[in-house]
Amino acid sequence: MSEINTRGSTSGGTDFKSVPIAFRLNGRPVSACIDGGLRALDLLREGFGLTGVKEGCGRGECGACTILLDGRPVNACLLLAAKLEGCEVLTIEGMASPDGTLHPLQAAFLKAGAVQCGFCTPGMVLAAKSLLDARPNPNEEEIARALSGNFCRCTGYTKIIKAVHLAAEEMRR
Amino acid sequence: MTAPFRTIGQPVSKIDGVELVTGRARYTADLQFPGTLQAVARRAGFAAGLLHRLDVEEARRSPGVVLVLTPADLPGPNLIGILPPFDQPLLAGPEIRHEGDSLALVVAETQDQAEAAASLIVAEIEPFPPLLDPEEAMRPEARKIHPNGNLTFAKQLLKGDVEAGFSLAEVIVEDTYRTSVQDHAYLEPEAVLAVPESDGRLTVYASCQSPFHLRGHIAANTGLPASRVKVVQPFVGGSFGGKDDAVTEMGSLAGAAALKLGRPVRIVHSRRDSFLGSHARHAAIIHLKTGALRDGTIVARQAEILLDGGAYASESPFVVMKALIHVAGPYKIPHLRVDCRAVYTNKRQAGAMRGFGVPQVTFASESQIDALARELSFDPWELRRRNALTVGEANATGQVFQESVGLIQTLELVKVEGEWPACWEKAHAGSNPRFKRGVGLAAMMQGISNGAEGVDVVGASVQVSQDGSVLVGLGLTELGQGSRTAMAQIAAEILGVRLEKISVRQVDTDTVHDSGPTVASRTTTVGGKAVWMAAQAVRTSLLEMAGLMFKAPAEAIELGEDLAYLRENQEAQIPLAQVATAAYWTGFPLMNLAFSRAPDAQYDHETHQGQIYIAYNYGAHLMEVEVDTWTGKVRVLRHLASHDVGKVINPLGVEGQVEGAALMGLGFAHLEEVLQENGKVRNANFADYQIPSFAERLPTRFLAVEEATPNGPFGAKGIGEPPLAGTAAAFANAVSDALGISFTRLPITPQRILEALEG
Repeated sequence: MSEINTRGSTSGGTDFKSVPIAFRLNGRPVSACIDGGLRALDLLREGFGLTGVKEGCGRGECGACTILLDGRPVNACLLLAAKLEGCEVLTIEGMASPDGTLHPLQAAFLKAGAVQCGFCTPGMVLAAKSLLDARPNPNEEEIARALSGNFCRCTGYTKIIKAVHLAAEEMRR
Repeated sequence: MTAPFRTIGQPVSKIDGVELVTGRARYTADLQFPGTLQAVARRAGFAAGLLHRLDVEEARRSPGVVLVLTPADLPGPNLIGILPPFDQPLLAGPEIRHEGDSLALVVAETQDQAEAAASLIVAEIEPFPPLLDPEEAMRPEARKIHPNGNLTFAKQLLKGDVEAGFSLAEVIVEDTYRTSVQDHAYLEPEAVLAVPESDGRLTVYASCQSPFHLRGHIAANTGLPASRVKVVQPFVGGSFGGKDDAVTEMGSLAGAAALKLGRPVRIVHSRRDSFLGSHARHAAIIHLKTGALRDGTIVARQAEILLDGGAYASESPFVVMKALIHVAGPYKIPHLRVDCRAVYTNKRQAGAMRGFGVPQVTFASESQIDALARELSFDPWELRRRNALTVGEANATGQVFQESVGLIQTLELVKVEGEWPACWEKAHAGSNPRFKRGVGLAAMMQGISNGAEGVDVVGASVQVSQDGSVLVGLGLTELGQGSRTAMAQIAAEILGVRLEKISVRQVDTDTVHDSGPTVASRTTTVGGKAVWMAAQAVRTSLLEMAGLMFKAPAEAIELGEDLAYLRENQEAQIPLAQVATAAYWTGFPLMNLAFSRAPDAQYDHETHQGQIYIAYNYGAHLMEVEVDTWTGKVRVLRHLASHDVGKVINPLGVEGQVEGAALMGLGFAHLEEVLQENGKVRNANFADYQIPSFAERLPTRFLAVEEATPNGPFGAKGIGEPPLAGTAAAFANAVSDALGISFTRLPITPQRILEALEG
């Protein structure tokens, strides 16, 4: 069981308040004792080492920390870790198959050139997964709308839309 | 090499892409070391003033705090900068020069504890009225922000006789153009992690652009010899010119704290810290005057450029030079006089940002070309074509290129593909009172390489292992732009190995040659040339070894697909791994360290005449827009971006650079502006500072022109920056064309459009 008290460190703090939580993380059951004020972002990054969850703004504006909570995209920076209790949580680390085969979205992002610096990529891929799980054949506007909470400063977005189309095609096969 | 190429020119995915799409790529803030401390800087909070007292006692006693670093605790000069004399303190005082000045660094067990303690620091500051207007800062009676006054840097370019030129002119147009402060807004905020090593050295992991620049400053400010400092660049979440000053400051402070405490110290900027405590793009005021003959020949241009440099010099001297040289545009103008100055103000400092002064002056220049076309009743495309630089013609610095000047080809491409002028007539044929259409053109050029701005040497290493795999090292950095992939392609092509066999390692200052900063769109050109040279040397070993094995002369052998084979009998093959193993046991060198050095610039720094850059990227853009006159909203219907890139190494990478730079150009021209009130940034977050989102994506279509330069690998020239300026200028001209209003200030926001429509 991980003991996570507050932002930025897994030890050494004071005023320790312990809330036990249990949830499913990337397909496996996990539990932790946490400070009630801890953000989901910090629990995932510091407690579980899932650093694919990125912090770009800390205010829910950029989407870099997007995770899927019961299949829905949420900003982990605005979510209390305690809210993960009983949920199914997916981060980018859980996208590929256990044997390492990339999810079609991951493969499509690479193939389409939708990745430059890669900092927005985990959130972008997860938001796209949520869309494709609900709508296997979205049009361009639907993709743009579904991903509108995720910023990218490198690509200009066009190749990201192309990647989602590519993946959708692959996943419908 | 035998054409066609196997890898060069093919669209290839990023060689480090799997790490990026799986979350395995570790950025600086992702690294974990036992016992790592978190640090936060306490900022001044006033744009100008005098720090009378700094009381850190309560902060020192705050829970979890292990150290509060003040200027007195720093062993070094407490100064950083780009060019000596350095003018930017790590920790400021007593003079406060901008809101984001750091006063002290709080180091604690956790981030929350560090932040809580930072707010307990008492800073008694006597505020001064801040100097915020660069024109005001230049008045003789203005308060001096630095001891030598408020002029940071000034240069003058003289070509021909500008008075004589204007006396020939039959038409003269003149205007003043303004651009605003743009933030880099990379999604990964700046981060550093300083780790004291057991051998007395210091390792600093940094989200940075120029590791050697950091190393020098960290060494000086911590009192360590440079050779005891290692700067490692993990994955970087975008930089665009930005991860330099701030990361140098953070790395020096974290390094000093880590050495003092014997524990790793991490500083990760919040988004607000990134807006307040890093540099941005220079706001500019550009007074421009152009004279022409009735037949459209431009005979003279005069420019006065004032760049708002903010509190510290940063890259201002080099941005001054770039703006100075590029305000003439890609045109043959015989008579020029340009004065360019950067000025200190009480704002966050301005420095390097994608385009480096070129977007500002290209907007001014291209707006004025349209104004001149209107004055002359000339087709704006024809006017650009008539004055376009060609091979054998002197540009603004008098430099004449005998090859690789593809401007006219880019103009022709956007004309044909854009169906100019029919598209213009069609756009204006409608009579919708609400939605107005317009078409804008822009032509531009951008110098590639540091050129005469500074030294331009890049080191690269290529080593082939006995199994035929290849390790490439380069002194320039991957920032997301795909340079690692381009370098791998160059090495793969020359060594005849498949791309999967190539690794391009991350930069650390122990293992590569100091190659200067990763700037000036020079990575592919100058850096790629170094990889090309190193790979050629190892290729020679492989060919000679294969010659011994085939009992044939080396010239008879070719390398490809992980094989050595005879040109005349391609069935005769030896796996490259066998050749490499044999070469190792025979004693042929399988590693080479090469230095590509840009040709010596013949340049007069008084008049700014001579050869400055090793090549230019040339471009032409065409953009069609529809403006909603009720809301001020602009929809971009079409965007053609043609650039002469010399040679496309990776089409996927080049398109990505063009599309990304174009959208950043749209942000610059339409959306983005760091707003300041009384010297305080009002919009230091992504809710109030609007970077382009999915909704603003552009329909950019890239049209490649490949006029090879002898100075780049396979003829390639950089492309990372130029499309930004072209897009911004074309956007301004398109909106101006749609509404029949000349916009002279960027960004042209919906609000400014509505204000202009109301007159």
